[in-house]
Amino acid sequence: MNKNNTQTNSFSLSNDKVSATILLVPALIFCTIFIFIPAIGTIVGSFYSYSLTSMNNWKWVGFGNYVKATQDEYFWVALKNNFIIVFASIVLQVGVGTILAAILDRGIKYGRVIFRTIIFTPMVISSVAVSLIWLIIYDPNVGILNAIFKSIGLSTPSKGWLGDPNISIWMIMITAAWQNTGFMMVLILAGLQGVSKEVYDAAEIDGATGVKAFWYITLPMIRNVLIVAILITTIGAFKVFEFIFVFTQGGPANATQVLGTYIYLQAFNLLHMGYANALSVILLIIALFLGWLQLKSSRKA
Amino acid sequence: MNFLKFITKKIYLFIFSLFLSFGFITSSYAVDITIWDLSGRNGQDEFYDNLNKEYKKINPDVNIILQTFENEAYKTQIQVALNGNDGPDVFFNWFGEDSARLARAGLALDITPYANVEGGYGNYISEGLSNTTAVNGKIYGVPNTSVSKYFHYDPAFFEANSLAVPKTFDDLLNLCRDIRAIDSSIVPWPLGNSERWKLNHVITMLNQRVVGEENTAADYNLSASEDELFTNPAYVEAWQKVVDLQDAGCFQDAPNATHPELTRSMFASQISPMIYCGTWCGGIFNSEGFSDFSYFRFPEVVGGAGAATVGFLVPSGMMVSAKTAHPEIAAHVASFMVSDDMALQAAELMGFMPSNPTKIGEMSNPTHWFNFYVNDIADKTGHVNVLDVLLEANVSNAYLDMGTEILNRTKTPQEAMDFIRQVALEAKAAM
Repeated sequence: MNKNNTQTNSFSLSNDKVSATILLVPALIFCTIFIFIPAIGTIVGSFYSYSLTSMNNWKWVGFGNYVKATQDEYFWVALKNNFIIVFASIVLQVGVGTILAAILDRGIKYGRVIFRTIIFTPMVISSVAVSLIWLIIYDPNVGILNAIFKSIGLSTPSKGWLGDPNISIWMIMITAAWQNTGFMMVLILAGLQGVSKEVYDAAEIDGATGVKAFWYITLPMIRNVLIVAILITTIGAFKVFEFIFVFTQGGPANATQVLGTYIYLQAFNLLHMGYANALSVILLIIALFLGWLQLKSSRKA
Repeated sequence: MNFLKFITKKIYLFIFSLFLSFGFITSSYAVDITIWDLSGRNGQDEFYDNLNKEYKKINPDVNIILQTFENEAYKTQIQVALNGNDGPDVFFNWFGEDSARLARAGLALDITPYANVEGGYGNYISEGLSNTTAVNGKIYGVPNTSVSKYFHYDPAFFEANSLAVPKTFDDLLNLCRDIRAIDSSIVPWPLGNSERWKLNHVITMLNQRVVGEENTAADYNLSASEDELFTNPAYVEAWQKVVDLQDAGCFQDAPNATHPELTRSMFASQISPMIYCGTWCGGIFNSEGFSDFSYFRFPEVVGGAGAATVGFLVPSGMMVSAKTAHPEIAAHVASFMVSDDMALQAAELMGFMPSNPTKIGEMSNPTHWFNFYVNDIADKTGHVNVLDVLLEANVSNAYLDMGTEILNRTKTPQEAMDFIRQVALEAKAAM
């Protein structure tokens, strides 16, 4: 009887394995075609010098493209800009998103749904459309931002909001925050709504209300949600492309270049496909590291 | 038994329908020729509709399918498409380094054998014009038009304020100062350099006027020796002229943040009295409601090495993809676009200055700007191609970037040329 049971169990176990393998095959095929093969191709290509218009003429350069990256001033500008965007996005999107979520959760009594909808709305518009709308707002000749500044007696940047290398990246950040803060707010709001009301009642008895309760009760309770929000924002900030491309194409004079746009410039405008591959591999390593962090924190959460 | 009968019937029906569809397919055999072109040209849809209809008269089995793309996006998309397997059969290009690179890479078809066949482009356009597309003696394109650039100005404003058309570069600087003196809020010459190419066209002309086309040739094609490459001090002088224009108040604030389309509208709505704009602009100004404009050439730089009779000219037209499944038909379609009647239609509908001028005299009501462009281009003693089409990709990008830096005053003319020389040396070494 025992023997029969063991046989049945091992049979059903192997059956499960076969089923699992069969079910995995379509996903594996798609991943192989659309992720693994291009990724391997990119890694292999990063050791060669070739261009989009000379695909049959690959020249082996070893780690030459990676060495070139370390000596390339604009690569470091792009990487620095990515980190600026990460920092600014966390402050603006997660920070403001948290504040808005807290206000909507406990700060106001009426109109929560309306406010939530209004703040979330930019998220459903495509980034390209958002960029085009804000391009008009930032225009130094007919833009409403200049008009507002002038109407209250403030001076506007003489090189334009997007033409001044010192401020253009921040203007793009403001737009990105305008679009994405709503999503962060909804994410964090979901976390806030999971915090038990009894905890606040108990804290109130101990004298913790308002900002104190937010700081000592709310934030620790939604710590894991915040970590996930920060990681989503960080990964998004490293992948940023559309905003920069539509607004400035990395200009003025590479001041707003990020890795995404710099890879595009090298591959398609300057025709250094091998070098663009090497930069992509660097971006891939950063993304993998951040992905690993996200997975780790998600499991904890 | 009944079931077997049913199945047999179905099989017969299937075989019969296969025969029918085979007959249908063979009787309606058609070739699709896809053309990629830039979007936004006035009269473009009507021209391509007519092209399709007219071509069907001589080759009814060919469908011409047009796909259009925005200017900046096109420059990248065409390269990607030509490397893939789903690219166009015939595609637009500017003839210069970009087109030559596609030819050298084997992505564009050598259409020399199709020149003098019946209906071939050799029957319609001059050998000299065809040769603008030549690489190693082989022809890779069919020019259907050329674009040039002129100052367009508002004669009513000039007359009302007793302003004269500038003959020299110094006159131009004084003109800007005079306009600012009339009303400091008027932008004499709006410059939209957010896409970088607007100033590139200006520096193209300044290099010609100051450095001279004979002196630039070896630098532009990187054949000058390493010691001499882009070392002529006149290049710095040319950049200095841009600074002078800015100091004279010619441009509005923030040219690097201003879109070219906006500056065209500033002129068309008579907010600004002049603009340096291409031969495609006349139709745009007209469509925006302003047609009483006039024109003048880029002024002479006194003491410069280049003649004032030389102008800006970028030939453009169609190339054939090396991967097309129908090379003969594709080359024939590209040639048909410059046939006598279609060249006339291109001029009438899209304002093209046709590469085939046979029927230009038959144009019904040519616009005053069309007449000016055509006659003035013919009057010029020589032409220069624009730097962002002519130069090697990295040097071209350096020139584009330095234009932005000069306007922002983040680099001096000397620093700009030092940077360009460095990039040119690297490009030469990589050749």
